[in-house]
Amino acid sequence: MATITAAARAIYPHDALPDDVYARVGEKLAEAACEDPGTERTIEDGVSALNGGRPFADLPADEQLEALKAIEGSDFFELVRSTAVVEVYSDQRTWQLVGYEGPSFDKGGYLDRGFNDLDWLPDPEAGA
Amino acid sequence: MSVQPDGRRPVNRFAAYDTDVIVVIGSGAGGGTVANELCQRGAKVVLIEAGRRHQPEDFINDEWASLNQLAWLDERTTSGSWRIAREFPNLPAWTCKTVGGTTVHWAGCCPRFKEWEFRIRSEHGPVGGASLLDWPIGLSDLEPYYEAAEDRLGVTRTNGIPAPPANNNFKVMGNGARRVGYTGVSTGRMAFNTVPRDGRPATIQDGFNYQGDKQRAHWSTLTTEIPRAEKTGRLDLRPSAMAIRIEHDGSGTVTGVVYVDAEGNEQRQKARVVCVACNAIETARLLLNSASSLFPDGLANSSGQVGRNYMRHVTGAVFATFDKPVRMYRGETMAGIVTDESRNDPRRGFVGGYYLQLHSLGPSFLATFLNPGAWGRDFAEIMEQYDHMAGMFLVGEDLPQQGNRVTLNRDVRDQFGQPVPNVHVDDHPNDAAMREHAYAAGESVYDAVGALRTFRVPPYPASHNLGTARMSARPEDGVVNEFGRAHDVPNLFVSDGSVMTTGAAANPTLTIVALALRQADHIEQQLKAGAL
Repeated sequence: MATITAAARAIYPHDALPDDVYARVGEKLAEAACEDPGTERTIEDGVSALNGGRPFADLPADEQLEALKAIEGSDFFELVRSTAVVEVYSDQRTWQLVGYEGPSFDKGGYLDRGFNDLDWLPDPEAGA
Repeated sequence: MSVQPDGRRPVNRFAAYDTDVIVVIGSGAGGGTVANELCQRGAKVVLIEAGRRHQPEDFINDEWASLNQLAWLDERTTSGSWRIAREFPNLPAWTCKTVGGTTVHWAGCCPRFKEWEFRIRSEHGPVGGASLLDWPIGLSDLEPYYEAAEDRLGVTRTNGIPAPPANNNFKVMGNGARRVGYTGVSTGRMAFNTVPRDGRPATIQDGFNYQGDKQRAHWSTLTTEIPRAEKTGRLDLRPSAMAIRIEHDGSGTVTGVVYVDAEGNEQRQKARVVCVACNAIETARLLLNSASSLFPDGLANSSGQVGRNYMRHVTGAVFATFDKPVRMYRGETMAGIVTDESRNDPRRGFVGGYYLQLHSLGPSFLATFLNPGAWGRDFAEIMEQYDHMAGMFLVGEDLPQQGNRVTLNRDVRDQFGQPVPNVHVDDHPNDAAMREHAYAAGESVYDAVGALRTFRVPPYPASHNLGTARMSARPEDGVVNEFGRAHDVPNLFVSDGSVMTTGAAANPTLTIVALALRQADHIEQQLKAGAL
């Protein structure tokens, strides 16, 4: 699990995010592994390969990057990346980091909460 | 009489052997509208819908969770040189499987087709590799129905309905567009309420369109046509019912529809008339899966055109980052348009036109679609600019081709044991040239207001799916006539975007509704005349 968490962080590195966000990826992959033996094997083999020398999670960032580039395009890499892109960017802590406020329906929308508050450009003509 | 799960309205249940009913398959823009119109005119309608019925308050304002709630995710395969076949091989289209169909996630852009867009074979002459054909009708035939459709949908800037206000994302695109000299710049003709109208509230600008509209400010067949049809007592809506075959008698007249119900049991509903409105991929698939000894190549397919001429529009997106915040996600997602490039000007290096339209995604979808497969620190840094980002959608006319088609993949079966559709697409050189031009135009708009970086985003899985049962004057050129009535089968109609002979640059929903209204007039007249 630590390997997947470290790999997910190296794939989508946001230094301000806690490990918990990246740990979602390993949890999701564990679920997928339970559902399909082929996926389980892909993950086990991929994790072993990444840990072939020193544990992947203990490597410095540049060596992690190199190790990931070496397996880019493999089924294992694509499984981790495609899971990470959904999990990391659907996490509210990531939303907060990138400045996304998310659902607003329960707050009355953005009508009175800045839907048109951009002030560094003039109001454009309405047009016809 | 039985009662709906929500307990509000009693509905009729027509007998399976009732040969007097009209069966409509699919409850989206085309099917939902034609079903309601026929109910209003006294017909008994069974509306078969593959998806479940959700209420707007149940919609989920979270992109992936919503996709899993609303999208059509049944197995499909792809082939051809388009990027989708590599990056999203099992998701060629982003449409909905729910009562209300794809109107449920529609942002509401309502341009009309232009006069010349109904006759592009005449306008352009022959174009190598393309199967251009003029529509059997023109703008003047559709104008009264466009007017009726705009009133029904409550389209802004028509019928005295106020224009949408400029949101943050539009301020960026609108100013940039003016600075590069565009003049057709506005917040658009949109099918959401800017003031309370027709029993629905004005928008609160909650920023969610593609996930369904919780507050009902947007028109959809779920919140308008279907409840109105139910009030007549003549609509029998059957959700979670997957049509798998249309049946006919020895004379080639359609007699009914076989579907699998929510419990997995096969049912057979008799019919006087059948209207197919399953969106272009499933409409073609259903006709092909209805092959018989009388119709060996598929129902209504003596022309061989069923499934061919599949169109998905030339699409793409441009996003840009700025040194000051934009917050593109606040407000109505697509309330903005630039129309200048929608003219036909072959000097640009391609025929046909395109629009620039306002567009935003949340971080979840943006990360997936911005540059599919991208990763690493540069990508993460771009994502951290999210609140400083503006976005636009590019949508233009793609050319029909005989080889761009929906076929049956007999090696892959769905949960009902039916062959799944395979969608094959190769971009026409004209499509590629238009997309390049549109990317450059979008970038110039953002550069004019000081963009730090701009990003060319490849086409998403298509939400505009057209042409697979096209209208033609001559039976040998297409599948249906000017009313969407099958050339080969007198009581079979196609009621969705599949009938579009060519796709124009405009978002298709308004035209699908106008065509459905025209078809309903025709069916009513034919019923009265005893011809159906």
